[in-house]
Amino acid sequence: MIEAIQLNKKFKEKIVVKDVDLYLDKGESVGLLGPNGAGKSTTISMISSLLKPTSGDVKLNGKSVVKTPADIRKVLGVVPQEIALYQELTAYENLKFFGRIYNVPKDQLESRIQRTLELVGLKERQKDLIKTFSGGMKRRINIASAMLHEPEILILDEPTVGIDPQSRNYILEMIRQLNQQDHTSVLYTSHYMEEVEQLCDRVYIMDHGKVIASGSQPELLSILSNEDTMMVQLNQTSNELITAILKMDVVRNIEETSDGLKIIAKKSSNIISDLVKLVDQHNSKIINFQMENPRLEDVFLHLTGRTLRD
Amino acid sequence: MISVFLAQLAKERRNPYIILIFIAASIGGTLIFTGGAQSPTTVSIFSEEENAQAVEEKWESLLNEGSDIHFVVADPDEARKNVQQGRSDVAVKVMEDDYQLVTASSMPTVGYVDQQVRTVFEQEAFIQGAIAQSDDSEALRSSIEAQLNQPPIEMEVLSLTGEERADYDMGTQLMFAFTLLTAMFIIGFRVNNILKDKVEGLWDRMILSPLSKTGMYTAYIAYAFFIGFIQMTAVVLIFKYGLHYDIGERLDLLLLALAFFTFSMVSVATLVTGLVKKPEHFYALYPSLIPMIPLISGAYWMPGTVTNPVLTFIGDLFPVSHAMDAILGVVMHDATLQDITQPLILMVLIGVIAMGIGVNLVERRTG
Ligand SMILES: Nc1ncnc2c1ncn2[C@@H]1O[C@H](COP(=O)(O)OP(=O)(O)OP(=O)(O)O)[C@@H](O)[C@H]1O
Ligand SMILES: [Mg+2]
Repeated sequence: MIEAIQLNKKFKEKIVVKDVDLYLDKGESVGLLGPNGAGKSTTISMISSLLKPTSGDVKLNGKSVVKTPADIRKVLGVVPQEIALYQELTAYENLKFFGRIYNVPKDQLESRIQRTLELVGLKERQKDLIKTFSGGMKRRINIASAMLHEPEILILDEPTVGIDPQSRNYILEMIRQLNQQDHTSVLYTSHYMEEVEQLCDRVYIMDHGKVIASGSQPELLSILSNEDTMMVQLNQTSNELITAILKMDVVRNIEETSDGLKIIAKKSSNIISDLVKLVDQHNSKIINFQMENPRLEDVFLHLTGRTLRD
Repeated sequence: MISVFLAQLAKERRNPYIILIFIAASIGGTLIFTGGAQSPTTVSIFSEEENAQAVEEKWESLLNEGSDIHFVVADPDEARKNVQQGRSDVAVKVMEDDYQLVTASSMPTVGYVDQQVRTVFEQEAFIQGAIAQSDDSEALRSSIEAQLNQPPIEMEVLSLTGEERADYDMGTQLMFAFTLLTAMFIIGFRVNNILKDKVEGLWDRMILSPLSKTGMYTAYIAYAFFIGFIQMTAVVLIFKYGLHYDIGERLDLLLLALAFFTFSMVSVATLVTGLVKKPEHFYALYPSLIPMIPLISGAYWMPGTVTNPVLTFIGDLFPVSHAMDAILGVVMHDATLQDITQPLILMVLIGVIAMGIGVNLVERRTG
């Protein structure tokens, strides 16, 4: 349905997006994952026709979006990363405005506004000014205003940044419903792994303007197939012990978390016994040991040596 | 397009105080700076000569005869105090055959009073000079006065438009100067909504909708026009029907001139918008630029006060001077549509050029 081909974007001499290929099929839910400054927003601005690529093209059903942006604007809903609403108007008035500029038929506008308000759980507050809303409520109206015209494709740019877990779950659930019940195609941008894991069929991982990995979740996780992730809880740790573990041949990475040490190591038969010995030598004891299922977070760590929220 | 216009109207309705304050400011400013009433006003006269009473009586009758200002005899201390404390703009101290103005301000009304008083004194000095060489002073006086009233060669003073020149009315001029000034502010602030909405991301959302860019610009520009025109019309109507100012018979032509001015000013504001990147920059630049335009254009002074060719040239680049030409023509000299065609065309010209450059700059600056 949408296809981005070799997208490049330079601001002045700074390359912000480099050779990005990406596609979104009908009814699919695709995640675009990457840390701050990876180039996610820039990429979707080009896809949605807001920004002209320095080179490359975006195609909607085979037709260039760059040359004829009008086509994609009819079928697209975009939720911008920043809240873009009339603060001095009510939620209702904002939705009415967006409904009108998207040419929602007059006789349907009212019912769609009410239905959308219900969907985002803010029907009771529709007569209140946006500026009196909490951050989470503003986010929900921000999303709602991109949905009134019932777009075939919905692009959301980090729609859950800076809001409480409850609002966040609410929003995720809403998007999932749109995708699964109404078969809206979703392109979802985030730097939260869990959201993308929960929501998306396929994932693109971006870093420094490039797509560094892509595929379905199992495909991405298979990148880690020759690695093990384990959580080790000790009764006491020391810097020397951690350094010693890191010095083990098979250990790739070690991270102190609130649940203990997270160790990523090459698959090997004797890692556990070696680890027990080492801990013993440092007068410490293993209280808890657990092999972890690898997650997308670990894929990113594996590929870049950094965590997503560095 | 309509929806963008309506959204701005909805914002305005939620917060109408700016408009109301600006309307009040136009009216308040005019009233304060013109002393609350148009001429003729009442002016105190007094004398401190030895024969004060005789001097006062003589000039009171002569002054009132020769002018449309109402002169009344007052106590010297009282009159001075009133001027000092700002209760009146001016008082006249009369002497045997000379006078002094007592004033603490340089209001236009003072100049007008001075002009009126001087005419009477000069005429009287002339008569006295003639009397001194004559025996029958009474007969001579009446014959001179008769001749002055019906001179053998009558000189008719015509205005630029060829109409008979009415007494110049500074109050009306200031009223329009203030009205235009406040309108320039409100127009600018509303044109600046483009930048505000760009910064808030609403502009991008509109671009991603099926709205055309031309439609978007048209909506913002039409709204600024609408609000500026409404404001000026409100002020004019309040002056005409509320405060009973004489603003001529042709309200239609007056509003037409105001409409041309509004269009032209919206364009100039768009041009200024194109010069800045952020709405805050606009708020810094525009209000420091705008008050200078009527100043340079001479809108606050008697016609012909600003003579520096450089200043006049700069003034003519802005719509205010042309708007004042057209408006004062209509209001004071009963100008017809033909008479004001030139200022109207000049305003359109400024408008079209400024809009063209302005929109291009806005596009380039903020993308
Ligand atoms: N208009 C611009 N001019 C210059 N540089 C820009 C511009 N827009 C973005 N950039 C730069 O491009 C890089 C990528 O920005 P982008 O907003 O696409 O990242 P992102 O992945 O969306 O990050 P975030 O998660 O913080 O939203 C950043 O380094 C940013 O500073
Ligand atoms: Mg972003």
